[in-house]
Amino acid sequence: MKLKVLSLIALLAGAATGAQAEGQLKIGTEGAYPPWSMADANGAVTGFDADVGNMLCTKLAMECVFVVQAFDGLIPALQAKQFDIIISGMSITADRKKEINFSTGYAELANKVVVAKDSDLAGITEIPALLAALDGHSVGVQAGTTHAHFMEKLAPTATLKSYGTLDEMQIDLANGRVDAGFADASALQSFLDKPEGADFQFVPVNITSTYDPTLGEGIGVGIRQDDTELKAKIDTALCELIADGSIKASSEKWFKMDISRPCQ
Amino acid sequence: MEFGLLQVWEGGWIGAILRGAAVTIAVGVASMIFGLIIGTICGLIKWRAVFGLSQLVDLYTSVIRGVPELLIIYLLFFGSVEFVTKIATAFGFAELADAGYAFFITVAAISAISGAYSTEVIRGALAAIPKGHIEAAVALGLPSRRIFARIIAPQMLRIAFPGINNVWQTTIKDTALVSVVGLQELMRTAFIGAGSTRNPLIFYAIAAIVYLMITLISQVGFNKVEAVLSPRKAS
Amino acid sequence: MELIQLAVPVLLKGLWMTLTLTAISVAIGFNLGLGLALMRGSENPWVSGFARGYSTAFRGTPLLVQIFLIYYGLGQIKFIHDTPVLWWIVSEGSRCAVLALALNTAAYTSEILRGGLVAVPVGLVEAAKACGMSRMVRFRRIEFPLAIRQALPAYGNELVLMVKGTSLASTITVLEITGYAKRLMSQTFAIFEVFAIAGVLYLILNLALIGAIRLVERRLMRHTQPAAQSLAADAVQAV
Repeated sequence: MKLKVLSLIALLAGAATGAQAEGQLKIGTEGAYPPWSMADANGAVTGFDADVGNMLCTKLAMECVFVVQAFDGLIPALQAKQFDIIISGMSITADRKKEINFSTGYAELANKVVVAKDSDLAGITEIPALLAALDGHSVGVQAGTTHAHFMEKLAPTATLKSYGTLDEMQIDLANGRVDAGFADASALQSFLDKPEGADFQFVPVNITSTYDPTLGEGIGVGIRQDDTELKAKIDTALCELIADGSIKASSEKWFKMDISRPCQ
Repeated sequence: MEFGLLQVWEGGWIGAILRGAAVTIAVGVASMIFGLIIGTICGLIKWRAVFGLSQLVDLYTSVIRGVPELLIIYLLFFGSVEFVTKIATAFGFAELADAGYAFFITVAAISAISGAYSTEVIRGALAAIPKGHIEAAVALGLPSRRIFARIIAPQMLRIAFPGINNVWQTTIKDTALVSVVGLQELMRTAFIGAGSTRNPLIFYAIAAIVYLMITLISQVGFNKVEAVLSPRKAS
Repeated sequence: MELIQLAVPVLLKGLWMTLTLTAISVAIGFNLGLGLALMRGSENPWVSGFARGYSTAFRGTPLLVQIFLIYYGLGQIKFIHDTPVLWWIVSEGSRCAVLALALNTAAYTSEILRGGLVAVPVGLVEAAKACGMSRMVRFRRIEFPLAIRQALPAYGNELVLMVKGTSLASTITVLEITGYAKRLMSQTFAIFEVFAIAGVLYLILNLALIGAIRLVERRLMRHTQPAAQSLAADAVQAV
């Protein structure tokens, strides 16, 4: 009886976290950040991140296992060895580099602010003017992202609302609980394309890492600092995938544009 | 907003929610068992007032009872990794620690919480056993192990039972908190469903109903056992 | 050390929010709970049945589910969106947290107070009736004071649970102690230190709360102490 209970628990644990086998690459991803990473009812992950992960696994001749985890917990969980790498649209920043290593950047996207069409922010065309105008408004960001750090640093007088997932932020935007949302252009575009995003628009300003380094240097694969061997293998594989146009093709599928970044 | 139950069904969410409920129950039962083991050991230490250990138990129960469960889970989940991996590897469970880490650490966190509450219940039950019973057993020359098995344990179980029922209800509800760190249990499934279908109302309502069913059904079971355990009424 | 200097002022900002959430939801929840406890004693089966169902539903589901249901679920209903008063409550995370916490503690409070009311000796109530006290007077002078005295230790535990429950407000964008701790975590990655400091804050808060309840308890139980000792106890409290 005891054995039965134990094996049941082990089975459920396996079902919940994915069984361990040789030659597996466990990839931590958020699963709630379209079109980068979306998890469905069965835990299967699709999106640009999933494509990059699957292509990497093919190159490295390993089996991909995706582990879905809230974004602000990804780095601690990587250090906790819950998975081997992070592929979750994560920007390479100086702060994160203190904790983990990154592969070469493989993609880069502009960031935008989304507001209601009748908002007084809707017509602003300059970054400094936009940041100043945010004073007294509430801005939704995802917790632990470069977007959150950017707003904490550059719009300290705005009321910052941190959400666990971008989905929640978008629900709140549509509900009118938050005045503006800040994220990357593609994620917000997918919100504008939905019925509940019909009354919203972009503030016509592109905010890139050239404006402030908190926004990072492109999107990279997160790797533990002592995994130098894995980093070398992933860098080589990524450069091949960038060179042969695979990353470009996948990004065009998900983003309707090429967001790949030349290998460095 | 024209989202009906039909979409929940067609999206395969019913199956996902049931699987989530199974994980919730597994976490709850495993944590309750470990919690009771912790509670019995710590309860005995406090009852006997073992010097040194008793103070440690006091520290443990007051920290757990005074700090939000959410913080304890964050702390154990993100802060204890090296430690847990080392222990598991030392005992030859490296593979297990690797594969079921989320499950393992979840059960550890909830057991720690459940154990603190069980400690108080068990200590209270031990204190309620009439001293004379134990003195009589000692006077009869029974060995201490038999005194525990024959006199202390049965009475402790009966007196502690309603309290244990309360701890179980709290434990099963506390498992919802581990959704924030990613274990795919009931709450986490509802959370993902709410986000991806943009229909939080129906998903959280379903989650609430499933939790209510778990607590109500287990309540009925507990009441039955309690009726059996309670001393027979003189006819 | 540097981290402590960074973290403590930030977390203290959150402490104020934690206290506010607790105070308001306890104030609302106690009154609701008292109402529900009285409804439980009603002879009308619908009234007592409602109170029992309410208590079962709120005690049988996790607080986290209740908070999410109120914040994200209610926000979705068009009627609430279009009714200014309701929308005022639901539009802000902290008000949703107060609503969820108040409704939740009302269920537990009603059970605790009911236990206290049931324990009031029937003879005392009958004596009050015989003296010609009205229902209201009887409740105010006899039943309530006796019930609260009986219920105080259990209610103290419930208050501690409420302080701990406010940490869940961090999941709906409210910046209280846990919310600030999570923000600090993603800035510094010093997970253990940040959560340990936050934990100590909660611990101090709860110990102070327990101490305060003990004082109230001693005061309410004055009649069980010998006169001289009671005076001494009061003197200690006065200092």
